[in-house]
Amino acid sequence: MSRLSEGTLQRAIAFVAALGIGVAAYIAIADANSGSPVCLGGGDGCETVARSSWSHLAGVNIAVFGVVGYALLLATAFFADDLARFAGFVLALGGFGYSVFLTYVELFKIEAVCQWCLASAILMTILFGLCAARLIIYAGAPGATPERA
Amino acid sequence: MSGADRRSRLLRLAAGAAFLALAAVLVLIVITAAGSGDGGDTEIEGKAAVANLLDGIPQRQMTLGDPEAPVELIEFGDLQCPVCAAYSEEVLPEVMETQVRKGEVKIDFRNLTIIGPESVGAGAAALAAGAQGRGWSFVDLFYRNQGDENSGYADDDAFLRAVAKAAGVRNLGKWDAERAELTAEVEETSQEAANLGFDGTPSFAIKGPKTGGIKLLGFPESAAELEAAIEEAG
Repeated sequence: MSRLSEGTLQRAIAFVAALGIGVAAYIAIADANSGSPVCLGGGDGCETVARSSWSHLAGVNIAVFGVVGYALLLATAFFADDLARFAGFVLALGGFGYSVFLTYVELFKIEAVCQWCLASAILMTILFGLCAARLIIYAGAPGATPERA
Repeated sequence: MSGADRRSRLLRLAAGAAFLALAAVLVLIVITAAGSGDGGDTEIEGKAAVANLLDGIPQRQMTLGDPEAPVELIEFGDLQCPVCAAYSEEVLPEVMETQVRKGEVKIDFRNLTIIGPESVGAGAAALAAGAQGRGWSFVDLFYRNQGDENSGYADDDAFLRAVAKAAGVRNLGKWDAERAELTAEVEETSQEAANLGFDGTPSFAIKGPKTGGIKLLGFPESAAELEAAIEEAG
């Protein structure tokens, strides 16, 4: 059975990270415009979550941290060395862990679910799986693409 | 360092990071769950009495009674006001049991904050409860659990959450998210009362087919006086 090539994993990480940037940027822009993301399936879950005190950390909308996190993950997809593999894993691990916590908060503290936040949590879970697979399979291996000088 | 050594070291580091992340998430969840946010430790008195009093009477926003009732009685109150609390327990129940239940009058509670700034947070919390159809339950329970004026209890998050929970507010997260934005409405109704010339609580006004607009009642001292005013207005 042939294993996934690192290039395929890198492309998948780049694609999912780009989607994540889009989702997080939408939430951040909606907040910056004094509004809240619109739940596509209707309901007021997105508005409720956006207006809760949990949506901001030190006065900054957490979606902004999401944009930065996804952008760094995207950057790791462009390199094929151990630093990029490990950094991608740690970033995705942090994002995944925080997504688990935020989903808990939505369900049990805010008692409302924002579809956009859920979408971001799903994307971060996929990224965690991809980055973990990349590290487990390719840690210590020479890069599939030229390493940085 | 060979590729195999590097691989082994990286995987050990990754396993350690994963363990730390798992521990961090668990600690965050435990701390959040143990927070005072659910108001569960605050004892709220009068739940059964308020539930019995309001049972079967429609509540919509801050209005109690049939929305189609011909007469609207407007109460301007301050949740910290002890006279309002006494009025709510001793005078209004008689009107609720008769004219409100019969659909002759609906009562609209509006905030007139005169005791202190804490009344604003309390009033906004009542409005957020009203958005979920529990406004009057919130107001009546708040009155029955009043503390000393401006002692810090009236806009205390845990106390307000406990009142909201006891009042039957179903979505406490939504209630919590909305109440901050409703302080403007509390200030608007306080200004409205001032414009009508009210400077004490509770103060009443009435609107009905025979009043020709809003009629100021001031402070009717008994249920009989209030009932007569409602009869006249209808």
